[in-house]
Amino acid sequence: MRIPALTVYLKEMRDALRDRRTAIMVLVASILTGPLTLVLVAHFVSGLEKKGSDLKVVVAGEERAPALVNFLQRNDIRIERAPGDYETRVRDGRLDAVIVVPEDFDEHWLSGDGAKLEIVFDDSRADAGPAIRQAERLLRGFNRETGMLRMMARGVSPDLGQPVEIERFNTATPRQKGAFLLFLIPMFALLSPLLGGMTIAIDSTAGERERGSLEPLLGNPVPVAHIVAGKWLAAWTFACAVATLTLAGFVTASVLYAQKQLAAMMAFGAPEFVLFVAMVVPFAAMTSALQMLICTYGRSYREAQTYVSYLATAVSFVPAIVLFSGLKEVPWHLLVPVLGQQAVLSRVVRGDAVGFTDWAVPSLVAATIAAACLVLLVRLLRDERIVFGRS
Amino acid sequence: MIVAENLAKRFGGVQAVSRVSFTAPDGSITALLGPNGAGKTTTLRMISTLVAPTHGTARVDGLDVGRDALAVRARIGLLSDARGLYGRLTARENVAYYGALRGLAPAAIEASLARLAGVLELTALLDRRTDGFSQGERMKVAIARALVHDPPNVILDEPGNGLDVMTTRNLRDVIRRLRDAGKCVLFSSHVMQEVSALCDQIVIVAKGEVAAHGTAGELLEASGCTNLEDAFVRLSGEAPEP
Repeated sequence: MRIPALTVYLKEMRDALRDRRTAIMVLVASILTGPLTLVLVAHFVSGLEKKGSDLKVVVAGEERAPALVNFLQRNDIRIERAPGDYETRVRDGRLDAVIVVPEDFDEHWLSGDGAKLEIVFDDSRADAGPAIRQAERLLRGFNRETGMLRMMARGVSPDLGQPVEIERFNTATPRQKGAFLLFLIPMFALLSPLLGGMTIAIDSTAGERERGSLEPLLGNPVPVAHIVAGKWLAAWTFACAVATLTLAGFVTASVLYAQKQLAAMMAFGAPEFVLFVAMVVPFAAMTSALQMLICTYGRSYREAQTYVSYLATAVSFVPAIVLFSGLKEVPWHLLVPVLGQQAVLSRVVRGDAVGFTDWAVPSLVAATIAAACLVLLVRLLRDERIVFGRS
Repeated sequence: MIVAENLAKRFGGVQAVSRVSFTAPDGSITALLGPNGAGKTTTLRMISTLVAPTHGTARVDGLDVGRDALAVRARIGLLSDARGLYGRLTARENVAYYGALRGLAPAAIEASLARLAGVLELTALLDRRTDGFSQGERMKVAIARALVHDPPNVILDEPGNGLDVMTTRNLRDVIRRLRDAGKCVLFSSHVMQEVSALCDQIVIVAKGEVAAHGTAGELLEASGCTNLEDAFVRLSGEAPEP
């Protein structure tokens, strides 16, 4: 005995794979997403570290402040003479921060009455941050040292000038710092099934009607539920395949970057890959069913495409909201589709523990929504107005 | 055998079909003849279970279209108003898909394909993708698809639409063969010549009702006209009584 749903499934798979151009586009896009993202992230990260760790300051008028030069040299800081047009350069982003020594500095310095130093910077550029902070830190250090020396010269204990000593401990592990940038992996993981399921979802619903093949198809002695199930399974298969490829791309890329600074910040190896796939497969069941449902309302292929892109936009907004609002994770997030997956996947990237319920709750929600969509779809395809067009 | 009993269908505020009854016996060709918008397509959709009647019912080989929809579909070969093919699949794959959906084994599908391809002159086209096909070629594939399970009842909605002379002749041939094989053939048309050249029985549908039915001769007699076209115009209520 043949199962009609299987017949429908096999036909949809064959039909979709015959659409070579679309299939190849989707495959290439999904394979390249991971490596390309990581190259960009790695470039950004290593740039940051280079700027922060390079012990160099740009000074204008260093000859007017021998004490400062002496201090910097003792601390192994390379001094670079600022070009004449340093203000323009800072504004253009070619220089990050410049320490400016005013004309009358040494005079005030020697008399000890309010010598001034300036730092010129533009903090609207995020990548200038480390250089600005470094310049500030150095000047504070210079200030403290001078103050202490002067107090000692007057027979005062230097501890008076520094009642509290501050030491900095950054509790973020390198991996957690990386997770900020690597929120991208969960986002791509959640978007890739949408990309993968899209073509079949449109083609097998709005496309089928536009082509005029829906009416004869429904004239076959096959329950509508089988037709819906077969089509949905095909969309799901593609969604999962594309998601898996995208994630495999991330794994490959993270192996390629194993020697760089990025490696310490992120772990995206086999265990993370398995957790991601386990999370994305039920999620893809939901997105495929949702895509098919909304496409069935589309009067034409083009209209369905528009609806599907709205859905993708909605899904991509969630990680962005989480990133920009700094939304802290609360237990009920697990119950919200997309948000739940996003929360758990971010934890995986951060290297935090993920339990069974963290997988089960969002997945159960996704499965329930998928089932509801399918029931609705069956009902829609039994509706004459949907099948023969709405008047 | 197809029996329609007082079929009626209302779409929102539009009464598409108000009262259609007729019997299409086995081994005979029955035509639903009527102007565009007379309710022919809706009637055929109700018989093939794609649309539920608001009133009345239809039976196919004694099976009720409402209660036994799947069994009715299994006993019908339907060339519907929409007859789109899957362009990325070959003609053979298009037909085989429907064969599989009707529960045919691969061997049975192959045998059926060989037979239909011969009758429809499709053999040379079988392994080509259908997206490059002409309208006539598409029609042949659609017919093969509808007949792949060798159904006892064949419903064709406007089968002559958009076909050239040769394909039309070929199609008539196919329809006659079906009748000679003892099948019940029911088709709709708004083309007089097509109907008169082919039909054993004509049901004239106008404004959602059966205006007249009988053989071509009976219709001429009832209308008092000398040619079928005048009879059609008179009986379908398009022209006043003489």
